[in-house]
Amino acid sequence: MSLGVETRAFRVSPWLKRHETLLALILLIALVGLGAFNDRFLTIDNLLDQGRFISEIGLIALPMTFIIITGGIDLSVGAIVGLCAIMLGYSWKNFGFPLPLAIAFALAVGALAGFVNGLVITRVKVPPLIMTIATLALYRGLAEGISQARSVRGYPEWFYFLGQGSVFGVPTQLLVLIVLIVIAGIALDRTTFGRTLYAIGANETAARFSALPVDRVKLIVYTLSGLASGLAAWVLVSRVTTTRMDMGAGYELDVIAAVVLGGASIFGGSGTIWGTVIGLVMIQLLKNGLALTGVKGDATIVVIGVALILSVLIASSLERRRD
Amino acid sequence: MKSRFLLATTAALALAAWTTQASAASKWDGADDLPTSPLACGAGEAAAPAAAKPYDGGQPTNPPNKAGKEITIVDVPKLIGIGYFNATSKGMQDAAKELGNVKVTTDGPTEAKIDEQIKFIDNYITRGVDGILFAANDPVAIAPVLKKALSKGVHVVGYDANSTPDAREWFVNQAEFNGIGKSMMDSMAKEIGEDGSFAIVTSTFTTPNQARWIAEMQAYTEKCHPKMKWLETVEAQEDNNLSFNQATTLINKYGDKLKGLFGMTSVATPASAEAVTKAGQCGKVAVVGLATPNAMKPYLKTDCVKSVVLWNPIDLGYAATYAMRAVVDGKLKPGSTSVEAGKLGKLNVVNGSEILLGAPFIYTKENIDKFDF
Amino acid sequence: MSATTIASPGYARRAAFRRLVGQEALLAVAIIGLAIVVGLINPRFLATRNLSDLLLGNAYIAIAAIGMSMVIISGNIDISVGALIGVLATISGSLAVAGAPIVIAWVVPILVGVAVMAAQGAIVAYLRIPSIVVTLGMLSILKGGLISVTGGKWITDLPQDFHLADLSLFGVPMPVIIMVLATVLAALWMRNSPSGRAIYATGGNPEAARLCGVNPQRTVLMVFALHGLFAGIASLVYATQLRVIQSTTPQGLELTIITAAVVGGVSILGGVGTVVGSTLAAILIAEITSALVFINVSPYWTDALRGALILATVIADILRRQRRAAQGWKR
Repeated sequence: MSLGVETRAFRVSPWLKRHETLLALILLIALVGLGAFNDRFLTIDNLLDQGRFISEIGLIALPMTFIIITGGIDLSVGAIVGLCAIMLGYSWKNFGFPLPLAIAFALAVGALAGFVNGLVITRVKVPPLIMTIATLALYRGLAEGISQARSVRGYPEWFYFLGQGSVFGVPTQLLVLIVLIVIAGIALDRTTFGRTLYAIGANETAARFSALPVDRVKLIVYTLSGLASGLAAWVLVSRVTTTRMDMGAGYELDVIAAVVLGGASIFGGSGTIWGTVIGLVMIQLLKNGLALTGVKGDATIVVIGVALILSVLIASSLERRRD
Repeated sequence: MKSRFLLATTAALALAAWTTQASAASKWDGADDLPTSPLACGAGEAAAPAAAKPYDGGQPTNPPNKAGKEITIVDVPKLIGIGYFNATSKGMQDAAKELGNVKVTTDGPTEAKIDEQIKFIDNYITRGVDGILFAANDPVAIAPVLKKALSKGVHVVGYDANSTPDAREWFVNQAEFNGIGKSMMDSMAKEIGEDGSFAIVTSTFTTPNQARWIAEMQAYTEKCHPKMKWLETVEAQEDNNLSFNQATTLINKYGDKLKGLFGMTSVATPASAEAVTKAGQCGKVAVVGLATPNAMKPYLKTDCVKSVVLWNPIDLGYAATYAMRAVVDGKLKPGSTSVEAGKLGKLNVVNGSEILLGAPFIYTKENIDKFDF
Repeated sequence: MSATTIASPGYARRAAFRRLVGQEALLAVAIIGLAIVVGLINPRFLATRNLSDLLLGNAYIAIAAIGMSMVIISGNIDISVGALIGVLATISGSLAVAGAPIVIAWVVPILVGVAVMAAQGAIVAYLRIPSIVVTLGMLSILKGGLISVTGGKWITDLPQDFHLADLSLFGVPMPVIIMVLATVLAALWMRNSPSGRAIYATGGNPEAARLCGVNPQRTVLMVFALHGLFAGIASLVYATQLRVIQSTTPQGLELTIITAAVVGGVSILGGVGTVVGSTLAAILIAEITSALVFINVSPYWTDALRGALILATVIADILRRQRRAAQGWKR
């Protein structure tokens, strides 16, 4: 590991921590404010319940943070969710796969879909946005073509444990998410893999000259993104008990919103898992809190939009003043 | 290099056309695989009611007794902001005003997405309501959250788009699928003759109601209009301009061969009518479909469209609200054979736990001005 | 790479010219080639009526893609444009139905479009918030706001002379005239005027642009305002084409528009691309959609094939550019 990268990582990190601290503060104020309006909001039951709903977006947001740190983007994640959901149900019903094998197959398809993205991005040098906008259409189309728009239902009871069950009162999928958050956080903060991501995002050419395995790392993060989308598909199918080819439509924007709200720069080089988690929680609790306070869905969307712009605005202007 | 590119594209497209065609023979595109039950041919009333099925709905766990007391209910349609669900919502408000002891609010996702709708229902369970009215984006996906509502003592009644029966108490059925299939095909046969060819513009192949209707249309056609020829089905989302473009493409593709277009949604039907008008094919290509009256008035007035099939969505919302009130009051319970629904009179229970609104309504030039939604 | 090309203006202009002619030629070949292939399978596809319907029905996408291309060339992105077009169409229709003079119903949405986009541009340029955050937020605001205000009530009973898109000049329909005019004017302006070239400079390398006397912030503001102008014009074509305005935001329209821009050869890294390319790409995508119906591809597979064809176009373009770059190095 070259020295330049080390210093860069150290220089970046306190700056970012401030962004997240500010964001966390805004989140806290919003929570207390909404909690004061409604006694059903800040209850353990409700908060755990919300944990169920953020899992799918959260799972995908972790590798998306990696990708955005490298200066890339992946718009095909929602389509991969649809494709994996279909592969899960279709291989179980039509190929006669045992369900565990069907799940493994769906995850493999997700990883493969991500791998193809990564391969074309690194080998053919197609910019990530263009590649994934094209595969967004392609993967969703494959899901429709393979399934012939039919849905698969009637899974056995044990399959619903991941999406509807709980362990010690905590929703299963939330536990999975928490474990993966910790792993992703450590990978980004404490490993050469993580430092390589920042190095690529800060200056890809320099990273190449420093003999960093730029292409291999990129290939890994896009594959991870596909794999996480497959995992999200599994969780989603288990939660809603059916598969449809239109599952996960529009997830890409929800995921990106959480990541950029968390302080990751779309230009690459900065961002943390911690920030992404705050962004994720903030959006979901804001939606939930507003709904419980009696704000309707259309107005809630407006508030989310304003909050997204304002919180990034406030956080970045405070940072600038301090700098 | 360019000729190679061309050659490759030709080969790919030909291959695609060939491979994807192979399986298309038996089923109309967009139809689902569920069993169908086509009605009797001809003008006769709907077939004799099937043998009474026992009640197959679910029941809430220890609901508070609110008989005759003020209740708060929430309506979560597939999506908000479209004419159809604005109309059902208006019907609910009308019923609430008449009843006097019901407060109903409509709230839901801005796009017809299954997981968004689930979140809305979940939030209202947490917030605490006495009853939930819903129109499901997916019958199975919505079931877990509805069962959760039942388990918390919340009453659940569906309308427009059903869930699995055990996830709700009752479902107010606007018109049976086979009834719609029959009305659509009979209207089309009347306009284009028994040997005409037609195509279908639908929203998406995954939308359950549309898939059911197309399946019933096919079954009824095979039984009663065997010489009519289905050409193809195209998807056009719930998007006006896309529907228009798709309908135009069909007109251009088939030329004189195409005698009729079906619009399967309240978006696709006016857009198809507009495409026919723009192509100067009024009177040559018939448009039959599901639609709301206001959007269709211009085309009925110019005689480009003769008949529009729809139930009255205002009545549907109205009936759903009355059904909910009756459930809370204990007047509509397992085993009931009918329910009083205000100005609509007595509505019958069918299929175990469904309340039938009536036969679908056909709007024509003569009666359309009576409706404003 | 873009930094080195910017450094020498003469080389940059030659290289950019070659590159853009190449991309446009490739798209034109693809459009014509596809038409020939599909025409061989089903000759009805080549009927004048069908080809003109194809342009007519998709002109609004091409027009909006012009502004989007400028935004992307300047190194930014806009996700709110689909929702904005929905809002502007609703404003236009509401004014017309409320009895405002038709010209007002045509002009106000364009002005509102410029204002909304300029506001976003100002936030991006002067408050330095990434455009993806601002426009993602705006997408939410416009989408939710529109339903809150209109309740999704459709606008019907539009006055007859409101329908700008129904007019034609010398037999050419108005949307096509607007599309061609807008593309040509924008292309000439971007290639020849200093402020047009400033967009490329800003997207290629803002620091270098600043050193060359370009004000990147003002350029970004201008680009967004122009994007608003084109979005306004697009919304007008969109609103006046049919007898009903849905008054909801068209789902996924922003992705279609961005796809047209990037398939048209606009590099998402900024600094490269032309609006002629994006217009051709919008036409190609519309052509693919229609062609798949004409050659009887199962409708369940059309989306997958469209995705594959778009991907093939993009990869072909990138490989061609790389080959050319490699040859350039050898020489």
